[in-house]
Amino acid sequence: MTIQVERLSKKFRIDQVLNSLSFKLEAGEKMSIVGPSGSGKTTLLRILAGLEIPDQGTILLEEKDVTRLSARQRNIGLVFQQPLLFPHMTVAENIAYGAHMNGKKTESTVKDLLAAINLTEAAAQFPAELSGGQQQRVALARALAIEPEILLLDEPFSSLDPNLRQDMRYWVRDLLDKRGITSIFVTHDREEAMLMGDKIGVFHEGTFQQFATAEEIKLNPRNPFIVEFFDHHMLLNDQQFVHIQDIQFSEPSGPCITYEAELLQTTFRFSERVAHLYVKEFDEKITLPTPDDGLSKHIELYIPKDAVQHFQSDGKCNDEQ
Amino acid sequence: MRLFRNNPWLLLLPALLFLILPSYGLATAILESLRGTDGFTGEHYETLFASDRFTASFLFSIRTAFIATVLSLVAGVLLTRTFSGYLEKNIPRLSVWLPMVFPHLVWGYIIILLFAETGLFSQLLVSLGWIGSTNEFPIWTRDSNGIGIILTYIWKEIPFVILMLFPVYSAIPRSYYDLVETLGGSRWDQFKTVELPRILPVLLEIFLIIFAFTLTAYEVPALLGTTFPEMISVLSYQWFYSGSFEDRPLAFAAMTGTSFLIMLGALAAYLYLNRKRMRAMRGRL
Repeated sequence: MTIQVERLSKKFRIDQVLNSLSFKLEAGEKMSIVGPSGSGKTTLLRILAGLEIPDQGTILLEEKDVTRLSARQRNIGLVFQQPLLFPHMTVAENIAYGAHMNGKKTESTVKDLLAAINLTEAAAQFPAELSGGQQQRVALARALAIEPEILLLDEPFSSLDPNLRQDMRYWVRDLLDKRGITSIFVTHDREEAMLMGDKIGVFHEGTFQQFATAEEIKLNPRNPFIVEFFDHHMLLNDQQFVHIQDIQFSEPSGPCITYEAELLQTTFRFSERVAHLYVKEFDEKITLPTPDDGLSKHIELYIPKDAVQHFQSDGKCNDEQ
Repeated sequence: MRLFRNNPWLLLLPALLFLILPSYGLATAILESLRGTDGFTGEHYETLFASDRFTASFLFSIRTAFIATVLSLVAGVLLTRTFSGYLEKNIPRLSVWLPMVFPHLVWGYIIILLFAETGLFSQLLVSLGWIGSTNEFPIWTRDSNGIGIILTYIWKEIPFVILMLFPVYSAIPRSYYDLVETLGGSRWDQFKTVELPRILPVLLEIFLIIFAFTLTAYEVPALLGTTFPEMISVLSYQWFYSGSFEDRPLAFAAMTGTSFLIMLGALAAYLYLNRKRMRAMRGRL
């Protein structure tokens, strides 16, 4: 199912939460929306689900305008931050609830979904008997039971511990891929956004600062906000940036720019030693991989002049991608 | 303090002390209702159940208490769910709970002032020309249908229902309503799935408290009731204080029977609620 959003705007008193936002998602595509906490991602999802009405703009589901339809008329599934299972119902009853509401066959759907979430054995159990991850899987199955045209997920793993969260990411992504479900996944975690979406909408100030694949965002960040939000680059000024891997600890042979940095700490990431540095000139903290554990407190960073890149557009991403 | 730690039964001591007086009253009533001239007998109960006056009074009491309780609950639920957000603020909450400070008797007098044939509403309707004279105003106080009693209890008990339900409504996450909506549910489904399972145990408890009270309280039916059929509390009082000592065991039998009925209801409700609670919390036990 295709979803097309055109010039969506929403204002709460003086707070412009959505500012003429547009994007399009083809059938089966997965999109992540990532942005700082409190930026309005959840409001966007609530508007798409029909729980809030936008001030302006249209939402088209397969060419059909659903902007003014209520949530119960839209057939859009929403998985919340908390599992929100009904405590007085069993796992099977919870899953069947939505399907039953929509007058769909429940027995085969529930059986199929229980198998899909690997909880066939727990069908007769109550939510209180399940772990956090299992509860969230049931919540996902319940949302899928209504056979939604689009599935929206609002930081569904935020209440889980890190190990479980990682497992759930792979599992949900795999499930969505297998079933070919068009989905929009909201998160404030950059890695999760890359994992859960074919495309990423970086949301800030009511609009997408960039709407592209993870690769494209890494190679060609559109504006300074993108550079600062992701860890791929160091921002030099409003027009220029440099990829982290182009920053060197020793002087290169060609022409280069030099910056002084203070070593704050060294830690390990993915078995690789990384140095946490404070670059005084930009008042910015960056993290660089380093093979050397003997870095002094004050070091110099070298950037080859030909590695410096320029932002290529007006910096905004309002139009349909 | 160690003494209390070692023997937790001692912690129940204040509650047991408090129960001495009502337990003594109940035990005495049971004994008196069973005492005959030649030892224990069931003849007072036989006389009681054969009495048309008692049957009429008992049925009238059950009906009046049931209507008053159910209407208080319905109104209380509607008001709480409509204004639960507003009730978070201190002044609206205080204004709802303030009526609880006044005794039932005061409310009874207010009902007479407002709803009697010569009361405020009657005079108002006459002055508006809606009715010709105060005689045309329906009889709502000291009436044989118990309307005055029901009105008093509804007015007095609604704040109590709100007091009991408000914390339950405050604790319901709003996301549950959104969830039901996204799953295609209506407003009724939201009530049925999100609210009802949470408020049902409290509703049952409130029902028992209000029903037991309205069934057996004396002052409101004495003030607003009629001579026949009278509420069971009024009948028992009359039997107890009537000139004849022969009627007194009937009063004890009537109140013992009523207490037994209430205890039976409370036990059934407890067993039902416990089953529900166990079911929902099974994983945590």
